[in-house]
Formats: sequence, structure tokens, C-alpha cells
Amino acid sequence: MDLDKDNANPTILNPSDLPSRRAVNPSHKPSSDGGSGLFDGLVTDFSAYHDPFAPPSASSDSEDEDVEEIDEQEVFDLISTISDPEHPLSLGSLAVVSLPDIEIVPPRSPKSRISTVRVLVTPTITHCSLATVIGLGVRVRLEQSLPPRFRVDVRIKEGTHSTGDAVNKQLGDKERVAAAMENGTLVGVIRKMLSTCQ
Amino acid sequence: MPSLELLATCTPPCNTRTWLSAPHPHLPIIATACSDKTVRVYSLQNFQQQSTISGGHKRSIRSCAWKPNSKGESVLATGSFDASAGIWRRWEEGGGVRKPAEIDFTTGLAGGDGEEDEEDEWRFAVILDGHDSEIKSLAFAPTAPLLATCSRDKSVWIWEELEDDNFETVAVLQDHEGDVKCVAWHPKEELLASGSYDDNIRLWREDVDDWACCALLTGHEGTVWWVEFEDANNIYALGSSEDLNDTQKDYVDTRLKAGPRLISCSDDMTIRTWRHVPKDKPELPAGQIKTTSIWKNRDFEEEWVEEARLPQVHERPVYCVSWSRKTGRVASTGSDGKIVVYEERWRSTPDTKSNDASGDVQMAGGAPGPDMEDITAKKLSGSDGHKGGVTEWVVVAEAENTHDVFEVNHVIWAPRADKGKRFEDEEVLISTGDDGEVKVWTFDT
Repeated sequence: MDLDKDNANPTILNPSDLPSRRAVNPSHKPSSDGGSGLFDGLVTDFSAYHDPFAPPSASSDSEDEDVEEIDEQEVFDLISTISDPEHPLSLGSLAVVSLPDIEIVPPRSPKSRISTVRVLVTPTITHCSLATVIGLGVRVRLEQSLPPRFRVDVRIKEGTHSTGDAVNKQLGDKERVAAAMENGTLVGVIRKMLSTCQ
Repeated sequence: MPSLELLATCTPPCNTRTWLSAPHPHLPIIATACSDKTVRVYSLQNFQQQSTISGGHKRSIRSCAWKPNSKGESVLATGSFDASAGIWRRWEEGGGVRKPAEIDFTTGLAGGDGEEDEEDEWRFAVILDGHDSEIKSLAFAPTAPLLATCSRDKSVWIWEELEDDNFETVAVLQDHEGDVKCVAWHPKEELLASGSYDDNIRLWREDVDDWACCALLTGHEGTVWWVEFEDANNIYALGSSEDLNDTQKDYVDTRLKAGPRLISCSDDMTIRTWRHVPKDKPELPAGQIKTTSIWKNRDFEEEWVEEARLPQVHERPVYCVSWSRKTGRVASTGSDGKIVVYEERWRSTPDTKSNDASGDVQMAGGAPGPDMEDITAKKLSGSDGHKGGVTEWVVVAEAENTHDVFEVNHVIWAPRADKGKRFEDEEVLISTGDDGEVKVWTFDT
């Protein structure tokens, strides 16, 4: 992978300017499944979701989970600490991800239990060659951290990238994402990006 | 109101994503392609795992397909993200066809523990190398010793089995502009369909000596995840040919000439059927200008038209459709975790004639673009002047959260084989999901 920097001088936000509610709720934990299992899932293709020994009726979407609300701030906390693949900086401080560009769409009907998280990613420059990798990192981070009832849609913010549509199509393709997560080189890059997450 | 009822969940489940389950051509078993690099074979009599195929692939097994018409020995092809396809063989019990309904499985799997071990021996036969990247789908032709594979490398390969385990590449088809997600053979002809990440469907035939694209089906606005032909006899799903009005008789005639239709589903959340328009009937309606096509100068090239769009129930990408060879019903599933069953019926209009007239008006106005809002009311016409819209597709059953909150990757009709079977030719639906489970559903009318 070519790691020549596309954008050597990005705009950097002061961490204290980033949205947070930690002062209000210091005990808040951004990651629901902790840090230890995080990278296992990368290699074994999301196996962390499923406990084969759990009773079928209670599998992965227990009452507790339904009660546990997840809001945009929590999603932001999960992804803002991801490192940019070419800068020693977080996606939050580079404004690649931002709170207003995160939307949680509740289930469409009373019977459905499936919610959608939509994240718009803003590459630092319009020809950023690593936009796909950044988007993949965000998708993987959220798929591993959120309960499986969330569908994760990661897209490039309209007008911010020269090949936005192509990148979006890739990021929306579960088969390509699954195959990418079996590619050792790519897994290594994603793992490095996520190593700064709590 | 018909409904889908869960009959069983195959055990033990896989603990990672499962992609697809393929029913055996004559035994009451299914093979499930798993992302843990194995194939699990489950019994449809007791829903227990019968055997496992492992050790052959370095990455996820995305797809598997049984060789049809195998006698005394089962042959399974596996397609993997490791870019290779594997061929596996196993002797069938007694070296022949067994009668599923008469086996007493209460004493063990398929006739006793002793035989089970012996039977549980899948032999790796051959590996098919050639694709540059992940194999997405593969299918044996029902009418010839041909295997088709497709890949993210944008190509479709056709392999001919010259003798046992000697496969020769007879074609590498590279017309698609994106990953080829699925391949499916026509039930009676050596005609292959493929669906792609480039949003298009292509049909392929052998032209003199070379395989080539004979039709390009455009219209989907997202990746085409699955294509499948209907059974050659599906026209009879509409019921008796007696008491039909002229329009209906005309349509039956059109369908019989056209042969099996194709169905496709897509990331654009739609499901569409496509019909062949045979060339030997140049009954162009007056005023219709034949659209210019890059295909028009060659006899080899075929015209296919979008005939119908099924009611849109899915709220997320549709990953799979299955067209029952017994009842003509269609089942679909996808990212939203729903399983939906549709039925084709004669459109019930008080005055078919006037309906027909409005269709002609639309045609005279040029090629009517398919309308997302109410496609079923539209009439899509082929150059033979015959229209869809004589029949309509209706949703007859719908189940939500079929695999808990997980996505469902595959659904397929299969003959029912457990003791609860209620009538001859009863079918079950088999769904395969991201939760690693394979579930069996009955369709209760």
C-alpha cells in the first residue's frame, strides 16, 4: 500500500473542541464489548457477534439490549478515536467524522428490530486515495462495537471526494467487506487504525 | 392468509456467517457454505449435521453446488474467497438412490451409526485454479457437463468436465465491468445468466465455437445479487388453460414460445422478471420504432425484456430469490432479515380489453420507462408486441426477523423430507444467515 501522504498539511481540530459528554458522564463506556475481543473479530469475520452456546431465544438481542439506547454521541465516540492511516491523528480531530454527520434511523415498523446507523465520512482532500480504507475502518469499528441489530451504512459525504460513488458502492457491499477482512494486508492496516480506540 | 412457520433450525449451527445452502439433487440433504472455510451437510429428515467438508480452502467458502444427475456418488463444487473452486466426492449409501420417506431416522442418521462413519468421507478430487480473486458463485449446467464460476475479477469461467475430474477451461468471459456476483443455468438449454456489481445481467451462449454474450439486461440500479431461471413448466402454475379469455390465451402462447423467464434481485431492493422475445415473430406494432441496439446485426443476439417487477416489500438490499420448480412461487430474502413469498396470478380486471388498449397507447408513445411507483400496472412490451401485465405478482406470506436481527444471505425451496410431510411434492424454504444458522420453514396455505 502506498503510504505517501496525499495531504501533508491537514487541518487539525483541538481535542477539547470535539463534541463530548465525558464531563457529564465520566463513567460512560464507548465500547459495549470492551477492547480485548476487538481484533479477534477482524480475523475471524465478525464471529464475536455470535455465542453458539447462548439459548436461541436470547441470542444477541436480549431485553437489556433493547433498553440500552445508543445515540449519535456514542457512535461518534466509537469512531472519532480511529487513527487516520497516514497521519498520527484521529479521524475526529481531522474532522473526517463529525457528530452532525452521524444519524441513527430507528426501526421502520413496530415489528422490525433493525436500526440503521448512517455515517458520512469527509476525506481531508477530494482525491484522498485512502478514503475507502478510512470508510472500511469506520464500518468495521461499528460492526464490531454495536449490537447486531444495527445496520451500518458508511458513505463519503456528497461532493467531498472525486470518486465518492465508487467508494460508497464498495463500502456498501457486504461481500466485498467480508472478503477484505480476510486479506491480511488490509486487516493489518485496519488493525493499526483501530489500535487507538479504547 | 398463508404463512411461513419455522419448522426447524439445523444443528449444530456454524458460529460464524453462513452464506448459502444447496439442496442435493436427489438425497434429502443440504450443503451449507460457511465463512469458517467449511461446508456443513445437514439432513432434511432430522435437521442434524451429517458430515463436514473442511481442509480444502484457505478462506471463506462463499458458494457450493451439487452436480446434477450423479449416480451412486455425490459430487459437490465449492467456491471460495481464496479464488479457487474445489470438487469433492462421496459415495452414496448403497451406491444408489435411496427412498427418503422410508428411512427410520429415529435409530440414528441414515441407517445406523456404523455406516455413518464410513459414509462421512468426503474425498477431495480436484482444485480449479484460474480466477484472480474471490469466487462468488458457481453452478453446474443441468444439460451438459459444464461448470460455471464467477469472481470479483469480473470474469465468468466455463469449465467442461471431459472425464471424471478432468476439467478444461472452455471460456473466460470478461464483458462485465464489475464483480460477477452470481451465475445460473437455463433448465433446458446451454444458456448461462450472470449478475454483476456493474448492475447488469448478461446471458451467454456458445456461438459457433466460442462462448459469447448474447444479451445484456439493463435496468437494475444496484448490484445484481442473484439470478435464476424458472422451471420450463412454470406456465402451468397459472392453472388450467380452460376458461381463459383471448388476452390470457395470447399470453400463454407468448410464454410458451419465450420459454423459461429469468428472475433477478438487487441492491436496489427490487425483484424483476425478464422474458425472452423470440426473433421469428416480427409482429412489430404499428408506430413502434425498434430501438437501435448494438446487438441488432447478429442472429446470435437475443432480446430480453423486463416483464414484471414484484411488489417491493424489502427495505434493504435483496440478496436472494428462489423460484419454486413445483409451484412457481417466488421467495426472497435480504439484509432486512425478511422472507417474502410471492405468487403470480391472472390480473383480475373487470374489462381486460380496455386495459389492453391503454397498453397500446403507452407503446405508441415510445418505450415506456419502468415506473418505480406502480410497475405492476405498467405494460412492458417486447418487439413481438406481447406484453406483461396480463398477470400480476402478489405477496402471499411474509416473515420478519427470520434470523433474529441478522441479515439473511440465501433462501431456497427444497422438497420436504421429514416425517411431518403433509402431501406429495410439499416444499420447505431453507434460509441461511449471518447468525450462522440454517432454518427450515413450511409454507402453510
